[in-house]
Amino acid sequence: MGYGRPMTDAQIALLETGPLVDAGSLPELIGWELKPEGLCRDEQCVIVTDREALGSDGQIDLREVAGLLDRPVAIDSDAGLVAVGAARAGRRGALNDLRAPDFTLPGLDGTFHSLADHRSKKKLLVAFSSW
Amino acid sequence: MIAVAIDEAADALRDYIRDHTDGITYPVLMDSDHLLTELYAISNVPTVLLIDESDTIVQPNWNAYATDTFKDFTGIDSGDQLDAIRRWVIDGETLMTADDARGAVDDLTDEEEQARLHFRLAVHLRNAGDTTGSERNFDRACQLAPNDWTIRRASLPLRGGDPFGPEFFELLAEFDEAGRPYHGVNHSGLPTAP
Repeated sequence: MGYGRPMTDAQIALLETGPLVDAGSLPELIGWELKPEGLCRDEQCVIVTDREALGSDGQIDLREVAGLLDRPVAIDSDAGLVAVGAARAGRRGALNDLRAPDFTLPGLDGTFHSLADHRSKKKLLVAFSSW
Repeated sequence: MIAVAIDEAADALRDYIRDHTDGITYPVLMDSDHLLTELYAISNVPTVLLIDESDTIVQPNWNAYATDTFKDFTGIDSGDQLDAIRRWVIDGETLMTADDARGAVDDLTDEEEQARLHFRLAVHLRNAGDTTGSERNFDRACQLAPNDWTIRRASLPLRGGDPFGPEFFELLAEFDEAGRPYHGVNHSGLPTAP
């Protein structure tokens, strides 16, 4: 299953499914729902021009869904895992328009922090590692 | 200040922070899935960004250091960089114009993007005890992005390699040979000409 909460554009998911899933499980898996008007989340809908390409008999291909949402996807069929990356729009906004994509990550004590918590302050963002 | 560890080892990180810093007053976040490397096209650490009050990036991916520990290797003087950060905090002076900052960092290639997903799959399978599956995905990730240190270097200890053993020096030689590729800017703390 996913991370137990609807995915924002900046979230990623590892799904313990094959690439084909029930249409009804999409909201739980990726936070988007297939409706007559398109692929929808809250008030936002992505138009689906080729509905047949998404799948048939109620089975939806996650690769096609990820493509519509402009998110990368990788599949390990031996392990039965599908990895869905963040929406590319966030990274392109950073590189081309200098808009810092928001993210939410846990601190060492398990409390979640977001970049947006620090809005109206100057921020020094440091990516480091112990390796 | 927000520090994000592109790291899988929470315990090691707690020790590292205890050993390396006193009285940290800023959030230190754990990014075991390397989400930030995808969102900001980060390929090595340390990578520093300066982000202003309206969440605009005024200094994109910058290879900047708080100390001179790696100065012999990088040739970078941390003092100039720290001065530059102070000038931005106090006077709002930036190192790059917005025009220069836009597009200064190359986007990830399709391969680098896929490598990040396979790295995530590998870490997940490793945590689940599936060594074969984990190795399969680490191999794939390293093939796809051979000069990306958030993948090659980060995976080395996770695969049981000695972080400073022969494999590390082979990787370093390969990285040098390739011209030390880096998704970002690699300048001193000196301001750009107006």
